[in-house]
Amino acid sequence: MRLPDVERGDSLRGRALIRVISIVSAARLPDAARVAFYHRSFVGPTFGAWTQAAMRGPGDWSVGERELMAAMVGHWNSCAFCIGAHHATAVRGLEPALVDACLADYRTAPISEPLRATLAFLETMTLRPGDLAASDAKDAMDAGVSRTQLADAAAVAAVFNIITRYADALDFTVPTNAEFDRAAAMLLRRGYG
Amino acid sequence: MDAIEKHRRHAEAVRSAATGSAGVTEAALRAAVLARAAGGAPLGQPYDALARQIGEAAYRVTDAQVEEVRVAEGSDKRAFEIIMAASIGAGLAQWDAAIGAIEGTGDATS
Repeated sequence: MRLPDVERGDSLRGRALIRVISIVSAARLPDAARVAFYHRSFVGPTFGAWTQAAMRGPGDWSVGERELMAAMVGHWNSCAFCIGAHHATAVRGLEPALVDACLADYRTAPISEPLRATLAFLETMTLRPGDLAASDAKDAMDAGVSRTQLADAAAVAAVFNIITRYADALDFTVPTNAEFDRAAAMLLRRGYG
Repeated sequence: MDAIEKHRRHAEAVRSAATGSAGVTEAALRAAVLARAAGGAPLGQPYDALARQIGEAAYRVTDAQVEEVRVAEGSDKRAFEIIMAASIGAGLAQWDAAIGAIEGTGDATS
């Protein structure tokens, strides 16, 4: 269910940002950004800092690969907003056909074995976290994924397992593909912080 | 600082923010909602239904589940906090499971 207070903003600054960014981008500001501007004394800045570190901080995974992982978590959680938003961002760093193939079936997609093994780990983490065991992590490491890479990927998945949930509980509006594309450019330029 | 420790600090900061004094709802309620969405103990309605649904399959959350919490709490902002606490609870449980698996390998190399 949509909450009108989140939609319109709860502060002068938030309302001004929503208005200005919508005008400049010539599109409705996506609900993800409205949540980020809302109730700033609560978890928003702290969660934004983790999201920024996971998605844009130092690490071996490219921005495109991290955005692909975000889209995959959206896919596993059936979150239309997150699939669209992070597909649009991932294809700015990866071949669109590769991203589409992953979303169709990452097991057969033309990706590196370490990335495939990482996605397998993230899939279990997302859909069956109670089943996740050291053997799952070892399988990924045996495929060439380092401990650091696996932890960084798990952070991406954790952040998006949170975002997909509030996106659906708050019934985020799903933009058009053209709007997702414009928002992707903004996400690459401005990040998540 | 290694990657696990870096992200663990962020995760614990998010957990603290979700259950701390910065919210307008009762901190104990947010902590209970956070735990329930991660498979913890049931709590009273309407909170239990919403927290459990967000934890299990948020795409199936109904308007009625959110509306009942909004009415019980009396404002959009308070309902927002409950939704965020549940989402964070479920996501952090998944993070904990992932890190437990990685550390369980005994591989301390980077």
